[in-house]
Parts: sequence; C-alpha cells; structure tokens
Amino acid sequence: MKKYLALAAAAALIGGCAHEQTRYGDARGVETVTNEFGSTDLQLIAESMARSMQQAPAIASGNLPIVTVQEVKNKTSEYIDTRAITDSIRSELQKGGKVRFAVDAPGMTPQVDEIKRQQSEYYAKESAVEKGQMVGAQYRMEGNITSIVKQVRDTKDVYYKFNLQLWNIRNGLLEWSDEKEIRKTTTR
Amino acid sequence: MKTTLTLAALATMALAVGCATKKGFEQPGFAFGCPIGDTKVSSMDDLVKSKTAMEGRRTTIQATEMRCTKAGDLMKIDANLNNDSKTVKRIAYKFRWIDREGIRAAEEESWKPLMMYENSNLMVNAVAPNPKAVDFRLILMSQE
Repeated sequence: MKKYLALAAAAALIGGCAHEQTRYGDARGVETVTNEFGSTDLQLIAESMARSMQQAPAIASGNLPIVTVQEVKNKTSEYIDTRAITDSIRSELQKGGKVRFAVDAPGMTPQVDEIKRQQSEYYAKESAVEKGQMVGAQYRMEGNITSIVKQVRDTKDVYYKFNLQLWNIRNGLLEWSDEKEIRKTTTR
Repeated sequence: MKTTLTLAALATMALAVGCATKKGFEQPGFAFGCPIGDTKVSSMDDLVKSKTAMEGRRTTIQATEMRCTKAGDLMKIDANLNNDSKTVKRIAYKFRWIDREGIRAAEEESWKPLMMYENSNLMVNAVAPNPKAVDFRLILMSQE
C-alpha cells in the first residue's frame, strides 16, 4: 500500500513539474535568454538610430525630406532579419513626423501592380491614379550589421556593430551616419 | 589703495554678471534647462529627485545630475548616473516622455541595459521622440 502511495506521489510530482505555464511578458523588457541577436538589440538599435537621425541637419530642417529604405547588410554569422530593423527605424522616424518615406525596392512591385489594377477597365477614370505621379526620394538609407564572436570553454562574447547611413541621392553625399554598439557576454 | 578698489569693483561686477547670467539662462518653469512646471526646485538634487523614478527591483545606482537643452524642436537630456558601490552593477533605464497636458507623448521606450563599473559615473543621454514631448522621467530598474 505504501509503495502505491509513494508511486502516486512521484507521478503527481512529475506531472506537476511537466505542467506548462504561459504568461505574457514585457515586450520592451530586457531579454537575455541567449546571447544571440534578440528583441532588446533590435529595439535598442531602432530607437538609437531613429533618434540620432532626427537630429541630422537634412532631417531636422523641417522640409519633410523624402527617404527610401535600402538594404541593411547582415555581415554577422547568424541569421538576422535586417528588414525588421529597418521597419522599426522607419516606424520610429515616421512617428517623429520629420520625414516621409517613398516606396522602396521591395515595395515597388505591389505599388506598380496596384497602379495597373486601378487603370484597368473596372475602375472609374476620375478616381483611378495616373501613371507617372510617384515622388522620388531625396535620400536613401542603408547600413550594415557586423559582429565579432569569441568563445572559450565557459565564456561566449558577442559584439555587434550596427552602422546606418543617409545618402543624398542627387549629389551622392553622405548626409548622416551613426553607429550603435552592443556587447553581450554569456558565462556558464 | 587704488588697486584694492579696482579689484573690489571688478569682483562685484563679476559677481553681478555671474548672477545675471544664471538668471538670464533660466526661463520661469525651468531648472538647469529642464522643465519643472510648478515644482519647487532650488538645487540639482531637487531636480534629479523630481525627474527620477524606480520601477521593478530597486537599484543603488543614482542619478546625480541632469541637464536639458533643445536640439532643434526636440528636447535633449544628459543625465549622470553614479555607482558608488564597490561592485559592478547592472541596471536598465528608459525615459518616459510627457506632453504639455501631462499625457505620455510617445509609446513607452524599450528598457536599455547598462553595465556600470564600481565607483564610476556614466552619462546617459536621450532625445525626445517628437516635438510634443516637453517633459520626461528617467526610470531606473535593477537587473541583478
């Protein structure tokens, strides 16, 4: 009898341990689950770059310059969705209200498709958009992210450097550039 | 005698100019360039106390100095953090931006992790996300 009770208690304990719990967390909290590129890094980079770019004379002038987003090259050894970084930077800048964004290269196909669709026989001519009305960007934003990873037996150190640049499309001048560095060390 | 008189006159003038400069820089409702509204702020300590808050786990890291200025139409803040303990401290901080009506002027910022060496000072700076942000709070949280 005692044996069965002990077994039942052990089973209950194991069952209890295996019980999964899901809770909502702070999406903007510091995430240190692993030392790979994470949500905190993305948020730090986006916020820092957007705030810095807002102070660039080309942007701060108040003329609502038009910017197009180009590629951020991932030169690290891990997979990083660099589009998520530029999307966040774009959102931050847009909310700041100092800059407008022109359709970028990946957005061009859906944009052209929509213009073509509106010019089809199904749409009223008065309300359909015309070809040749899109506005070109004055500046292009591009950048890269690099990393240096060092590992010994019990320690892994990751250093990220994110660099973003704002180029004047007309004259090819670099109007603004800034960097954000992040270091993370994991020890066992 | 003449030299003493000249020196005394110079000292008085310097003092007067010094006072006038300090007063001249501060607009009503501002202290060290930072907005204070109706709060009574007569020292840097008062300003830091009124602008700093702790959330989550408390930290021994303290803001000791704050200065505000304008970058175009955006508020810019420099805040000095001090770790006077004998150990390395890890904290997270963020700025909360407030508009003219006392409502949050922007979405909550992300927490920024920070490592501070023992017996050290670190200057953190921030720029307001938009011109609507006319006031702020510096929020600190321990990460240990």
